[in-house]
Formats: sequence, C-alpha cells, structure tokens
Amino acid sequence: MIGALRVARAAAELQFKEVAVSGFLLFGALVQPFFIGVMTMFMLRHRPDFDPVYVVVGAALSGVWSVLLFAGSSAISHERSLGTLELVVAAPASFVVVYGGKIAGTLAFSLVSVVLSYAIGAWMFGYPITIADPGSFAVSLVFALVALWATGMLFAPLGILWRTVGRFLGLMEYPIYSLSGFLFPILLLPIWTLPVSYLLPPYWAAVALHASARGDLGLAGLVRVWAVLLLTAAVLMLVSTRLFLAVLRQARRAGSLALS
Amino acid sequence: MNAIELRDIHRSFRTTTGTFRRHRKDVVALDGLSLVVPQGELFGLLGPNGAGKTTTIKILTTLLIPTSGSATVLGHDVVREAKQIRKRIGFVFGGERGLYYRLSGADNLRYFAELYEIAPREIGPRVVELLGLVGLTDRADERVEGYSRGMKQRLHLARTLLHRPEVLFLDEPTIGLDPIGARELRKIVTDLHASGTTIVLTTHYLFEADAMCQRIGVIDHGHLVALGTPTELKANVTDLGVVELEVFGVEPAAIERLRGLEFVDSVVVEQRELRQLVRVQTRLAEQAVAPLLAALGGAQVGRVAVREATLEDAYVRLVGRVE
Repeated sequence: MIGALRVARAAAELQFKEVAVSGFLLFGALVQPFFIGVMTMFMLRHRPDFDPVYVVVGAALSGVWSVLLFAGSSAISHERSLGTLELVVAAPASFVVVYGGKIAGTLAFSLVSVVLSYAIGAWMFGYPITIADPGSFAVSLVFALVALWATGMLFAPLGILWRTVGRFLGLMEYPIYSLSGFLFPILLLPIWTLPVSYLLPPYWAAVALHASARGDLGLAGLVRVWAVLLLTAAVLMLVSTRLFLAVLRQARRAGSLALS
Repeated sequence: MNAIELRDIHRSFRTTTGTFRRHRKDVVALDGLSLVVPQGELFGLLGPNGAGKTTTIKILTTLLIPTSGSATVLGHDVVREAKQIRKRIGFVFGGERGLYYRLSGADNLRYFAELYEIAPREIGPRVVELLGLVGLTDRADERVEGYSRGMKQRLHLARTLLHRPEVLFLDEPTIGLDPIGARELRKIVTDLHASGTTIVLTTHYLFEADAMCQRIGVIDHGHLVALGTPTELKANVTDLGVVELEVFGVEPAAIERLRGLEFVDSVVVEQRELRQLVRVQTRLAEQAVAPLLAALGGAQVGRVAVREATLEDAYVRLVGRVE
C-alpha cells in the first residue's frame, strides 16, 4: 500500500510539473474559467434570484473539469508521443496507480481555477463570497475532487486502446458541465437526461458544493449527498480499474502501445 | 535455468490499406521462432529491417502477446507472469524517445526508480551512481530536452539499470551515436555482461555483434536462419573471398550481369554519395577481379580491393541483402 502511494505521488509530481508548463492547460485553468465566470456574472447578475457564490463555485468546477479532461485525456497520447508509454506499462508498478497519480497531479494543478473563480467574484465584481458552512464546504470540496478524479479515470483506458477516441475525449467537456449542473440546475435540461446526471459523481459534487455554500441542505442532507457521491465514484473506480486491465491486455495483444 | 526460452512463437499484425475502401491484411512478423539463451550469455540478434527482432524483444519484455507459441524469461511465462518478469528485466529501445524532456536527467531516473519500486533510501545513491556510470553527473540537473542524442542514449541505459536487472534487452542501443559515444556504450554493456547480466542485443552493426556477442542468432522473415558463435557463422563463408569495387554511375544492367556470373555468390551495392561500392562474394577471390571488371563493361571503376570474408559477409549470404 505504501509502495503504491509512493508511485502515485511520484506520478502526481511528474504530471504537475508537465501540466504547469503547458500553455494549452494554463489556458484551460486560467483563461477559460475566467471567461465562464465573467460571462455568467454579466448574464445573471440582474436576476432577482442571482447568487454570486453559485456562479463562483460553478465556474471553479468548470475550470477544474476542463483541466482534468484535457490533461487526463492527453496524458496517454503525450506518453505515446514521448515514447514513454511502453516503459511505464512495462514497469512493475501498477499502471492504474500510475495513472491515478497523474490524475491527482492534474487535479492539484487545476485548483488554481478555484482561486481564480473566487477572485473574479470577490475582487473583480466585489460580491461578498461567503460560505454558509465552511466546514461542510471543505469536506464537499475534498469529495468533489474524488468525484472528478474517478470520472477522469474512466476516460483514460479508452485512449490507450483507441488513439482516435483519446483525441476526441475533449468533447466530453460541455456535456459534463451541463449534465452535472455546474452552472445551472439540471432541472432546466430535458427530463430524460436526469438519470444520466444522477449516475455522474460530478453532479453530486456540484450539489454538495452548492448546498454547503448556501447552507440550505442541513448536515443530514449533505451526508446523504456525500454518500451517493462516494458510492458513484467507487462504482466508476471499479469499472475503470477493470477497464484498465482489459484494455492493457488488449493493447498488448494488438501491439498498439508503441503507436503514436 | 535458461534466461530465455522461445518455443514456436508466431506473431502477426493486422494492417489496413486504402482511404475509403479499407482492406485488412495480416502481416507475419514472427513465423515459428524457437530460441534458447542461457543465463549469463551476451546474445546477439541480427536480421534485416522487418525480420522480427523488435517484435521478439517486445514479446520478451511483456509488451506484446504472441499470437501462438510460448515464451519464458527467467522461468516465467511472458503472458501470464508478466509482473514477475518486469521486476527482473530491463530494456532499451534505440533512439531518443522514451524520456520526459521537460524533466532533468536525475528527475527522470528518480521517477523510474519509483516505478520500479526501489526502496526510498536506495534511490538517491543509486541515481548518483548510475549518472556517474554513464558520464552524466555534470549534466544531471539539466532538462533532458537539451541533451545530445548520445546523452539521451546513456540516460536510457542508466534508467534500465536502476533496479539491477538480471536480463537486459538492448534494441539497437548504439544507433545514431558517434563513434566515441558508441564505444563508451559498448564498454558499459561489456562490463555489465562481465558482472553476470544476461544481455540480448540487436544491432545492424555487425562488427559490434562480432566483437561483443558470445552467440548470434540471425532471423529473417520471422524465423531463425542461423545460430552460432561469430566464429561458427564466419566459418560458413571461409570458402569465399570478397571483391570490393568502387564504381561511378554503374547501370543496373551491369549489376545484373555480375549476379549472372557462375562464380559469383552474391552482389551487394552500397550507394556512397556519387559513387557505389559493389561488394561481390566469390569463391575465386583475386582471380575474379578481371572477369568482374569485364562484366561491368564501360563503367568507370575506382578502387578495387580483395579481402577475406567477415561476419557481415556471412550475414549477407544468410539473408541475401544488407540494410
């Protein structure tokens, strides 16, 4: 277990160093949430039910998800282009652990979006960004990162087997924003999309963060949301682990690890 | 126990052709390859491009699953017991790829040390030791993107030695290196072998295989066409002499005339800028020079030399071509 944590930490450090100097991901972490935050503020601030904290939390989640999706989906193709994918797969450490560490490193980097979104609401627009229940919000934030991490892990195995799929995973950016209710309630979406939202850990992350920021759900309600969040994340983790093992075996069979 | 055993290994790859109407085709890379390498041997694997050398190495390093047949490394099956094998082997694929360019050389080694689950207290000293071994101590903290090709190759070797592998696979490790860099790398490999490491080396440089390897296997079209010590392989061509003719603008028809001569075993043409070096294997040796010149017709001929056959000539006889 300690060995696996060491491997995950090393992979996280490596990934953090790689994404921190990537212009494309800096754009995702800084410029995109800035536009989303500012535009949403302008669009909604004259509405009577406007809640700046909701926009700040939603913009932060959007930024985190964008970085996670782009860095996560490109991590495999980046390893392919460097010629390191085979070396990592052929190492004794579990590839699932290595990739889990990489997603964790990406998440750590993406937290810059949270700070930026807060700055837009509090300093640029001058709204009081007060969190009703800071303790619950902190717990929700940690669980939200777990939820996003588990979702990011699901997409990676597909990119190992099918290079084309890996390149198109970025298209999942807006569907996850929308279906998870980062910036607007999912009740605005067609009714048939709701079951999909309920299966997504990021949806429960958004519910937990918005609710603990507003303080309108109570501790018992929040605990139920956290439980569902962790359950859906655990299911995704289980699926992605099985998928990783199956895909790596298939990649060894197809000889696709070295292809770039 | 043998370090490596390959039994009737077959491996094919599926490729597609065409843009709109795609056709699938199976390409055979290995066609019933069987081979045994005892522990402690420095074994050379030779063959032209596409012969199946890299496919063999990738199967043995657990990166590819054979289509059929069985392979073991240190007694472990490459398909079912990959994890046990991975802890005990190392490999280097030729070329510059396979490093994190934005990290320093030392950071690259520290990262792979973690992936090879080396004890934390050993990582620092081991990285320092290996950087010294490959002569990169002074550049250890610089980003790899600024390294020369030779430095990257040496860093690859350091990376693969981190966990003290018992079997080392080196796939064209000196490709693209300058003569001094290649010589230094060969010295390191020879020292590793002397310390008991089993080494499988693929190379296109036949003098390298001749000088370093205890036994050599030549594969072509996916199967073994010759196996033996360099001396044994060269013994296959003791009946031959080699006539080297430097010519300018020789016509293909003239080369075909040479090939048609009864006393000619094989003809290889190597393009060297404006000249061609025509290498003729023949049992007549010096006596063949006059009829060869006659067969070349009016071609302008420069230097002519006659020499004894080498491992390269044995290789040419076996596979019928050079790269």
